[in-house]
Amino acid sequence: MGSFITRQVLQRLVLLILISIVAHTFIHLAPGEPSEVDPANPRMKPEDIAKIRAAFHLDDPLYMQYAYWMRDLFTGELKSFKDSQPVLPKIWRRFLNSLPLFICATLIIWTLSFPVGVQASIHRNSWYDRSSTFVAYALISVPGFFLSYIMILWVVETFQVPVIGMRTFGTEEAHSAFRWMDRLWHLVIPSLMSAVGGIAILSRYVRSQMLEVINQDYVRTARAKGLEEDTVIYRHALRNALLPFVTMLGFLLPALIGGSVIFEQIFAWPGLGRLGYEAILARDFPVILTLNFMAAVLTLAGRLVSEILYAVVDPRIRLQ
Amino acid sequence: MLVKRLLILAPLVLSVVLLQSYLWVPTYDTQAVGNPNRLQTYIEGSIGDAKILNPILNADGSSAQIVALTFDGLLDFDENLNLRPRLATDWKITEEAYLLVHPSKRFPDGTTVSGQTLETRIRRALDGGPLADLSDLVQSVKLLPASLREERLSVRVKPADGPPSVIEVPVTIRIPERIAMTLQKVDQDLFTKLEPVVGKQYAEDFPYARFITIEGNQPDEVLEGLRTRFSDLLPVEEHNPTILFHLRQGVLFHDGHEFDAGDVKFTYEAIMNPKNLSPRTSDFEPVKHVEILDRFTLRVVYKRLFSPAINAWGMGMLPEHLLNAEALRRETETRGLSEEAARAFGMRDSRFNRNPVGTGPFRFVEWQTDEFIHLVRNDVYWDGPPEYHHYYMRIIPDLLTQEVEFLAGAVDFYGAQPHQVARYRKDQTYQSFSTLARAYTYIGYNIRRPLFADARVRRALGMAVNVDEFIEYILYGQGERTTGPYPKNTEWYDHSVLPLPYDPDGALRILRDLGWERNSNGWLEKDGKIFEFNLITNSGNPLRKNIMTIAQNAWKKIGIKCNTQYFEWAVFLQDFVNTGQFDALVLGWSMGIDPDLFQIWHSSESGPQKLNFAGYKNPEADRLIVRIRREYDHDRQREYAHQLHQIIAEDQPYTFLYAPLSTAVLDKKIVMVARSEEGEEQYQKIQPTKSGNLFFYFNRWRKLELTPQF
Repeated sequence: MGSFITRQVLQRLVLLILISIVAHTFIHLAPGEPSEVDPANPRMKPEDIAKIRAAFHLDDPLYMQYAYWMRDLFTGELKSFKDSQPVLPKIWRRFLNSLPLFICATLIIWTLSFPVGVQASIHRNSWYDRSSTFVAYALISVPGFFLSYIMILWVVETFQVPVIGMRTFGTEEAHSAFRWMDRLWHLVIPSLMSAVGGIAILSRYVRSQMLEVINQDYVRTARAKGLEEDTVIYRHALRNALLPFVTMLGFLLPALIGGSVIFEQIFAWPGLGRLGYEAILARDFPVILTLNFMAAVLTLAGRLVSEILYAVVDPRIRLQ
Repeated sequence: MLVKRLLILAPLVLSVVLLQSYLWVPTYDTQAVGNPNRLQTYIEGSIGDAKILNPILNADGSSAQIVALTFDGLLDFDENLNLRPRLATDWKITEEAYLLVHPSKRFPDGTTVSGQTLETRIRRALDGGPLADLSDLVQSVKLLPASLREERLSVRVKPADGPPSVIEVPVTIRIPERIAMTLQKVDQDLFTKLEPVVGKQYAEDFPYARFITIEGNQPDEVLEGLRTRFSDLLPVEEHNPTILFHLRQGVLFHDGHEFDAGDVKFTYEAIMNPKNLSPRTSDFEPVKHVEILDRFTLRVVYKRLFSPAINAWGMGMLPEHLLNAEALRRETETRGLSEEAARAFGMRDSRFNRNPVGTGPFRFVEWQTDEFIHLVRNDVYWDGPPEYHHYYMRIIPDLLTQEVEFLAGAVDFYGAQPHQVARYRKDQTYQSFSTLARAYTYIGYNIRRPLFADARVRRALGMAVNVDEFIEYILYGQGERTTGPYPKNTEWYDHSVLPLPYDPDGALRILRDLGWERNSNGWLEKDGKIFEFNLITNSGNPLRKNIMTIAQNAWKKIGIKCNTQYFEWAVFLQDFVNTGQFDALVLGWSMGIDPDLFQIWHSSESGPQKLNFAGYKNPEADRLIVRIRREYDHDRQREYAHQLHQIIAEDQPYTFLYAPLSTAVLDKKIVMVARSEEGEEQYQKIQPTKSGNLFFYFNRWRKLELTPQF
């Protein structure tokens, strides 16, 4: 196990460097310039722009720019083009904002999908199964942003309460209980909306996994032993059906970074997804590249975690 | 069965916990109940976040808005767009003019020019001689002795191999004897007026090589480049406009430090410091030097005539004590930066840019990136504290959700689009405004292309499109026709210029006279080629996209084939606009307040990467453009601007379409508060100024508990 992990980590490190080189090249080759050196600003003279370009190392060869980026990233002195702020603290603050949304959405997805999916599989082809299938596919097909707009308009028209952003502004003097609940309320709609697609997909997975397991011999054996139906379903069947989901936990990690651009944009949520989006619009290379780098780290780490988890929960699998 | 119960209970509990929070959230009407301060809080929705809250470094709209609330300039524009005093109480513009003694010239009567004779002759001419009517203008005439000046000039060199670089070349300038004149006001024609004394073409053939020495051994390319700059280094006739500012005393920065002339000088120097990469450098480049006369008086001397330069002093003034070299050094120490980072550390890196300290009506409190910026009012503001106690700029990147927040009462103001404003016209809860923006939208033609070289063709193209249609269907009526290069709500705009009529038949007649005939397919054809071109614009702007479609259709009706395409902004600029590789484009200009149009319309600005991308060239327009930026008399500037407007309207380098109206919606409870001398409050309806500025009296705005009746 130990040697397996060491080998995997080393392999992934090499891969990570390759990814960072490719990403760096691609982002610099893409058309467009950082907005700070935008020649469309009539107040900027070519000499000023040349000076800024030099300060950003934009005219150096690509491999030097890569070296500067890596050096600054690891000494923690990497600065955003846009506002000259250090990149890492910037990303950290946004991460803290994204985190509650991510946790809440994940909780909603994982708590709702299982009952829905299990129920559908037990009563296969029933009215409930068919309608939940229909709703699931409808939710998968309807674009999330469209659904969000409808939801926002409906909530605001009907209940007359604000839903955008992380809290209601202008209520600073209210009792702290009110302010906390206000923050919680502002989490509800965006996390629900970003969870909708997840619920639809995950509950389908649960259903099909359960169906597969329910027809296995050991389930029949359990029934033949005369066990209660609930015990058969929830202990013997569900446990075995869970195996693939354990590995999915690992894949959750990268979603921390890129999973919610659209929802953060619509709900004015100052999270990581929006940081990345705004950075791309402004061609803020240090921020884009660092986020991309972190996404790569998280993806690779997530896959490693999945593989290890798989071995942990399923004794049949041995890592070598 | 535990698992089963868990599977049912978990989602139930989660839903209850989440949904009950709704009960705690205030609705629109109850917001002020638990928070009486809500009425004294102004929340504005903004699409984009600020970037850098430093008046000399910011270059984007949101930052500019926050900076305008937290900093004051020396002056700004009043409701009629005239300059008004802010941190400066008054100012006076005079001129110092210099005339070199030209060693190889003779006076009209044949005598050789020397310092002594030049001085006496000018004096005598002023004193009852041929220049007697200048005697009020010219206050003193003095002969200055010869002197020496050393300078380091930066020159761009482009070696055959490798990237271009900038080198510094030391230059010694021996300034000959010269006449210094003090003028009571600026006169761009002073030296022409001196002709009766010094003769015509006095400034020509000055032997620069005798006075300017380039040090060191420089390559030919550099020498060549420098020679063209000799007349700037040592102008024979030199205008030095001078502004004398008196500053307001007793104004405090938000940290309690008193504002004085040192801060003004520091701000100027910070802009000119190349390390700071200030985007305002070009505004202050014409400044020769800034001199502190006493703690509250300072004098600014300019290198040459450039009348828009005074507007630049509307820029916010920085606190020297928080940003000077000593303060920055201390900051690198407290932040524990590495030696290299500390050496590179400049104003751009300072924490100040996220915690600004100014003298403005609002004091900065907090900035959460992409979420909000919070300001509180400056209770000791020199012009009286604002009525609102808190100001929030909320970042909501989506227009529809901005409106939703507005409806829910969590935003007081957002940049409502015309169709959104239309929704509130009849609602009793809201007041809506439409004011002329200082901007216009146009279809620009690439005049370098033979197809568009003839002004008559451009006129015909303009006559074939119905601009009223654009205004009605694209802008929901929120626009006005415009005919020329100036914003409609400034006095530079000449209202006597009539817009092109909508006359497709007339357009066809013009084109027919030029040899364009309809072919069998219905397209206009000349010399075997049909009238075809590409019209492009940037993506992401639905208005421009719609304009393209309507124009394409209108032109098709008279047999012109127009292909439309749009590109992402960066690509659009880089590949088409900057290189001049386009036929026609739809774009808009946002204009300043001064009448200087040099960058957009002067023929020298038509190269690649320049703003005169239409390639407009008209010698008379060039002459007027230069005269306008050298003129300091307001009325005369207006006269020239009107002439320029007429010429450009005649040439039709653009089809000028419309000036958009800015639309705005506010709750009716927001009013303007006036206080009588006894301190009694009176409420007035909010009115935009004549120049279209809704926020001019923002410091007097406040929200009331009940809707007032006017």
